[in-house]
Amino acid sequence: MKRNLLVYLKKYWLFAVIAASFMIGEVLADLYQPGMMADIVDRGILGIGNSGTPDPSYVASSGMRMILVVLLGGTCGVLCGAFTNYFGQNFGNEVRKACFERIMHFSFEQTDDFTSGSLITRITSDVTQVQNLVMQFTRGLVRCSMFLIGGSIALISLDLTFSRIVMIAVPLIFLEVGFVIWKTNPLFRLLQRRLDRMNTVMEEDISGIRVVRAFVQENREAERFHQANYEMADTQFRVLVMISWMRPVMNIILNLSIVALIRLGAVRVAEGAVQPGVLMAAITYITQILNGLMMLAMIFQTLSRGFTSAGRLSEVLESMPKIKDGKKEAPARSGTVEFDHVSFCYPGYETPVLQDISLKVASGETLAVIGTTGSGKSSLLNLIPRFYDTVKGRVLVDGMDVRDYKLAELRSRIAPVLQKSELFSGTIRRNIALSRPGASEEEIVSAARTAMADEFIVRQPDGYDTQVSEGGSSLSGGQKQRIAIARGLLKQAEILLLDDATSALDLSTEARLQDEMNRNYSGMTRIIVAQRIASVKRADRIAVLDHGRLVACDCHEKLMETCEVYRDIYDSQLKSAEVIE
Amino acid sequence: MSYQSKTLQRGFSRRPERGAPVEKPKSGRNAFARLLSYFHEERPRILLLFLIVTLSVIGSVLAPRFQSQAIDSITTGNTESLGKILLSMTLLYLLSGVCTLIQGWLSASLSQSVARRLREDLFDKVIHLPLSFIDQHSHGDLMSRMTNDSDNISSVISDSLGTMFSGVLTLCGTLFMMFSLSWRLALLSCSTILLTVLVTTLITKSMRKFFLERQILLGKLNGTAEEMISNSRTVTAYGLEQDSINSFSLTADALTKTGTIAEVISGSMGPMMNMLNNLSFVVVAVFGAYFALNGSVSIGTISAFIIYSKQFSRPINELSQLYGQIQTALAGAERIFSVLDEPSEAEGGEILPPPVKGRIVFRNVNFSYVPGKPVIRNFSLTIESGHKIALVGATGSGKTTLINLLLRFYEIDSGEILLDGKNIAELSLGDLRDHIGIVLQDTVLFQDTVRNNLTYANSDTSMEKVRAAAKASNADYMIEHLPQGYDTVITSSSLSQGQRQLLAIGRAFLSDPDILILDEATSSVDTRTEKNIQDAMANLMKGRTSLIIAHRLSTITDADEIIVMDHGEIIERGNHRELLRAKGRYYELYMTQFRGGVI
Repeated sequence: MKRNLLVYLKKYWLFAVIAASFMIGEVLADLYQPGMMADIVDRGILGIGNSGTPDPSYVASSGMRMILVVLLGGTCGVLCGAFTNYFGQNFGNEVRKACFERIMHFSFEQTDDFTSGSLITRITSDVTQVQNLVMQFTRGLVRCSMFLIGGSIALISLDLTFSRIVMIAVPLIFLEVGFVIWKTNPLFRLLQRRLDRMNTVMEEDISGIRVVRAFVQENREAERFHQANYEMADTQFRVLVMISWMRPVMNIILNLSIVALIRLGAVRVAEGAVQPGVLMAAITYITQILNGLMMLAMIFQTLSRGFTSAGRLSEVLESMPKIKDGKKEAPARSGTVEFDHVSFCYPGYETPVLQDISLKVASGETLAVIGTTGSGKSSLLNLIPRFYDTVKGRVLVDGMDVRDYKLAELRSRIAPVLQKSELFSGTIRRNIALSRPGASEEEIVSAARTAMADEFIVRQPDGYDTQVSEGGSSLSGGQKQRIAIARGLLKQAEILLLDDATSALDLSTEARLQDEMNRNYSGMTRIIVAQRIASVKRADRIAVLDHGRLVACDCHEKLMETCEVYRDIYDSQLKSAEVIE
Repeated sequence: MSYQSKTLQRGFSRRPERGAPVEKPKSGRNAFARLLSYFHEERPRILLLFLIVTLSVIGSVLAPRFQSQAIDSITTGNTESLGKILLSMTLLYLLSGVCTLIQGWLSASLSQSVARRLREDLFDKVIHLPLSFIDQHSHGDLMSRMTNDSDNISSVISDSLGTMFSGVLTLCGTLFMMFSLSWRLALLSCSTILLTVLVTTLITKSMRKFFLERQILLGKLNGTAEEMISNSRTVTAYGLEQDSINSFSLTADALTKTGTIAEVISGSMGPMMNMLNNLSFVVVAVFGAYFALNGSVSIGTISAFIIYSKQFSRPINELSQLYGQIQTALAGAERIFSVLDEPSEAEGGEILPPPVKGRIVFRNVNFSYVPGKPVIRNFSLTIESGHKIALVGATGSGKTTLINLLLRFYEIDSGEILLDGKNIAELSLGDLRDHIGIVLQDTVLFQDTVRNNLTYANSDTSMEKVRAAAKASNADYMIEHLPQGYDTVITSSSLSQGQRQLLAIGRAFLSDPDILILDEATSSVDTRTEKNIQDAMANLMKGRTSLIIAHRLSTITDADEIIVMDHGEIIERGNHRELLRAKGRYYELYMTQFRGGVI
């Protein structure tokens, strides 16, 4: 486990030590009893050492002592559990919170690198695994090794010859466990692959059911699934058999050891070297030793899984936020944006997405950005609130390099409406007001009206109080986009960024939206990325990007005259329209 | 959602988490009875399992008896029969051991066979269910029934069937052996076991509330994490980092508090049981010693009792845990059966006599997904054979619904749809759909080779035909530049949207339908690919009755007829010129697309 996780353990090391000590106490109590029983049999019943006269009072006093030891052991066990859980849970909690906090401060690039799915798994199941790891470590590992070592010592101290059996049985069990692990590990991987395959087929067929039906291929798909299903079940069967054989094989080894022990014991008793009670105690010890060994094997599996998870969490904690606060005093707010010889490429890729772009956007201006897919439109927008940093050149907001701002200050000046409208569970109102928690009802409604969202919100069952379901699946793409736009408008920042945020709106709605924005938010600097000519036509200026370069920036009419790339886009979308008119 | 096998999750540890809340089936008995029917086929294996388990229990119950004789013969110094006794012991232990091995094999094969058949039945059902059912249920939910629920059932079978049977047998056998050895010691052992049962129930009861609470908090925490992380761009964009950290921490702390309590209580179960086991050990040792002093039991009997009292308490533990597992499995079985009970799509029906001309008539068709909210109202339309018809209208105007009705993905409420004069409701579904080819906006391709995807409708198409179709759909150039050409396996990310679209067109070519349905792409592909797709579609439509759902009006100016829809009704129809001249809704739509809002 790496240092950055161990830090969180440090606070609780005392609890761990106490827990481990209690565990040792519990095991000692368990180990103490067979010995006492041997004494009861040998001294109490057989009267060995007392010239053959049984000693009932010794039985009674030993019994009392044994009960005391049992109670003590039980108390130790319960306390060990309490301490282990306390520190395990709290440790887990701190790790989880630390990871979450780190993730929240990740840049877009870092989140993309990890993928959000993987981050979610890390914060949920990996934390649980690591928590189990530290708990197993203090509890299971201590317990098993104590049984293994303590039991062996106790057994050997009874009679040295008994150690022969342990020396044969222990390697046998090691061999068995090793064999099973060696055999199952590749099987586990194979099982995972077959599961994935089955899941894929299932997923494809359910989501593509219309195509399956339209081509009348139900039987073919059923056969494909049966195949995947059969392979999965077959592998799972093999894994299950391996696992289910572990314990019986160990039981055979254990029981045969007992037989051998009795055989050996008979000889030793006849020689007068050990007493019958001692032999009985030896049987119990060997059971404890071998059981401990078996448990150890299972614990190691939990441990190895825990270590994998620990590594995955360490990775999160190691990743320092890439985009950090600047230190300069912020200038007055005016809403200007300037790109000064900006070049950008995504980390890990060689092809530049933006090359040497210089462009000034004045306060209150509406700038549209158009270009084919992959021409770098979104990337250009993402540089303004520093979702990414430029590779070369500077981006200036209100005249200052964005890297000199404190992040919170910079972003308070900008309202970005993202390409993918992300909604949170909760009411529609809450979703809009996210950008300005203290907003009044009128402000929310007015933003929603401008965003053309009010008209469908009031038709929802509970109006603004309608609950948005998971991921906003109850709303259409266009509705989600309009909520996201309302959210952006409500922020009342100086600069509004619309990153292809109206793609799902039909053109007349989009046109009305633009009219409303012109009327109510005329002072706001707007930068709009869009695919459709109709969406950008009325902007003050249109920046045309082609393969990461700014080829022109002017109004629609001028571009039609001078810019070939723009005309191409225009033609492909509205071909031959004027001829017919 | 994807699914993880229980076997993978648990690895070598075979016990489920103690105290986790149990989901209850609504009618456990019915589900159980139906589940039993799945075991019908497995009767020979089940009988064998029972036989094997019985043998194994006999071995493990008798062996300690011989151990007690061995100890006695050692204490009394009378060792001549010891060899024989030890031999019997060895044989019994081996018998029991080998039988448990076979039991493991049998249970695993039984559980996998039943789970496999359950999944198979479920899949075969789902693939034939009416689309209304599939559209109404989340795909994750359906998949989870196929995987998690059937896995729950299978793990219960592999764990429990043998355990239950051997548990009961062991209990009876051990009890019998104990009482036959010494009834007094047997009674004493039983009393400590009663104590065990009492303590277990008490602890389980007291922790239930906390586990339930923990489960709820855990769900909430995971929900928050998932939401905030997958929406992290918005969180960053609006500076919501601190707010989400605070709300996450709040839940995380509450979870830790409840979780610690729950775990401390449930964690005390182990030590408590251990203590009670030890107590029973002491009882056997001490009272055994007293009885031995009286001479009523031998020392060997004490040693046998030590084993028996352990043997006796284990099945009680296991059986008490089984109950919860079985309940969960039955609840899952109920969910599976509820799907299996859904009616499938109608089968049978007439077959259209060839050649099919592809004349389609909608006559007074009414349809609603939800009763009372009509989506298609009194819709009538005749599409002549070989014509190209475009459907235009805002989202929700009913364009896609018409397609759903024509393919009989949904059945109409009233009116009729005729194909070549025949009511499609009377046709066999397979035959009807054979005549219709579709190219949908989100292209569905399967994780298989390019070739198999192209020949989807008919897998033994010759390679020449495949190439010809690829050429006609402008996909040949793209395919030949893939690493393995036609044998390249398509994965979800290996092709661009435009390339996928071309393959879907090629697939439709090879199915050679009489009627073609195109849901035109809106997704932004680069201009050249766009042109490619348009040309390929035009190729495909030649000589076929075609229905196009149009998003870009510029692509349908040459349609024979354009149908403008609104709220399930036709509000305008005619060809491009006529409609422009009419200056109605189509004109309006066209002008907005062209001029960007200024009319």
